[in-house]
Amino acid sequence: MKKDLQGRIHFKIVFWGPSLSGKTTALRWIYDNVEGLNKGGFTSVADHTGRTLFFDYTPMQATAQVVFDVYTVAGQRRHRGQRKVILTGVDGIIFVADSSPDQMEANIESMAELRSFVEEDLGHSISLVVMLNKQDLPNAMDKAVMLAKLGLGNAPNFTTCALTGENVKRSFRQVTRDILMYHLYPKASATASTS
Amino acid sequence: MSITVRQFDEILSDVIKSEPGIKKTILVDRTGLTIAHVSKFSYYPVDVDGIGAIASAVFCASEEQGKSLDVGDLTIVTSEFGDGKIFAAGAGKGVLCVITDKEVNIGMIRLTMMKAAAELAKVLDEFMAEKPAVAAGKTDAEREELRAALGELEKG
Ligand SMILES: Nc1nc2c(ncn2[C@@H]2O[C@H](COP(=O)(O)OP(=O)(O)OP(=O)(O)O)[C@@H](O)[C@H]2O)c(=O)[nH]1
Ligand SMILES: [Mg+2]
Repeated sequence: MKKDLQGRIHFKIVFWGPSLSGKTTALRWIYDNVEGLNKGGFTSVADHTGRTLFFDYTPMQATAQVVFDVYTVAGQRRHRGQRKVILTGVDGIIFVADSSPDQMEANIESMAELRSFVEEDLGHSISLVVMLNKQDLPNAMDKAVMLAKLGLGNAPNFTTCALTGENVKRSFRQVTRDILMYHLYPKASATASTS
Repeated sequence: MSITVRQFDEILSDVIKSEPGIKKTILVDRTGLTIAHVSKFSYYPVDVDGIGAIASAVFCASEEQGKSLDVGDLTIVTSEFGDGKIFAAGAGKGVLCVITDKEVNIGMIRLTMMKAAAELAKVLDEFMAEKPAVAAGKTDAEREELRAALGELEKG
């Protein structure tokens, strides 16, 4: 949480997850479809195929005084340094896991990296919501199995399809709500365990 | 306007006035949040939040790169384009970003930026100390704003 010079309160939300899991697609879907949020520009640092090189960023205003600055990270392994930079000052994370069975190792690796950066804060001062994305795939992995393998059995989670937007808005709303609740009632919140 | 706001604006305006060719100055923090910005011309239309987010990220990424190469502290990142330049200098907890025309006196701009960055670093420290620590006591007004945002989100 930060305040800017106009006295507006800012919260930073980051979409995290392995490459091609659907982070950019999900943020883009929210940007194009969710009403009631006053959105600013959409900034992307990506290659010509649309893969994120550094980050996507868009500010979304809930009220005149409360702004969510929403980012995605670049999921490809070599962009670790960029991911660390984008994670600075984060208030809430949406972990976008890829439900294709051949991406499970990548999901686990991405989650391990996230934990190495923010270990003890995750699920406490940093809210965490899990999107089990690409559930539309015919061979999509089972939700419970994925959560168990990721060690995320207790985190709020949704099965999603970022292409159609299924449950994407709910995931986003969950993380914004958890962030606000944490800041309103810091002691009572912090329910999501991540181990 | 509070004293801090005026201090930021003054320092950023001084930078613009110091050299011909400077079009815009932006101060961002290291999480990508735009703190203050001043343009030479009021009709210079840019997405300041987006530019600020990139400036902060690029500077901090260069810093990371420098750490792994063990080449000392990063002072200024310069980006040269066909029709202009962007400079970014570390300013304590923030990054000072200056956007200029193509033909500028780079030496003078570097000097001006280093001086302004030192001043901004001090004011930033004061500004950030003013704010309530995360999860510590919030003012009633802040709690009211958070509740209003919560209500707004429930609606959608
Ligand atoms: N079938 C299916 N495809 C999806 C879904 N979400 C995203 N995709 C596709 O997956 C590919 C990668 O999506 P992106 O949103 O670019 O992935 P990303 O996580 O931003 O990837 P990086 O930028 O490399 O980190 C695109 O071709 C999307 O159309 C989904 O829910 N189902
Ligand atoms: Mg992407």
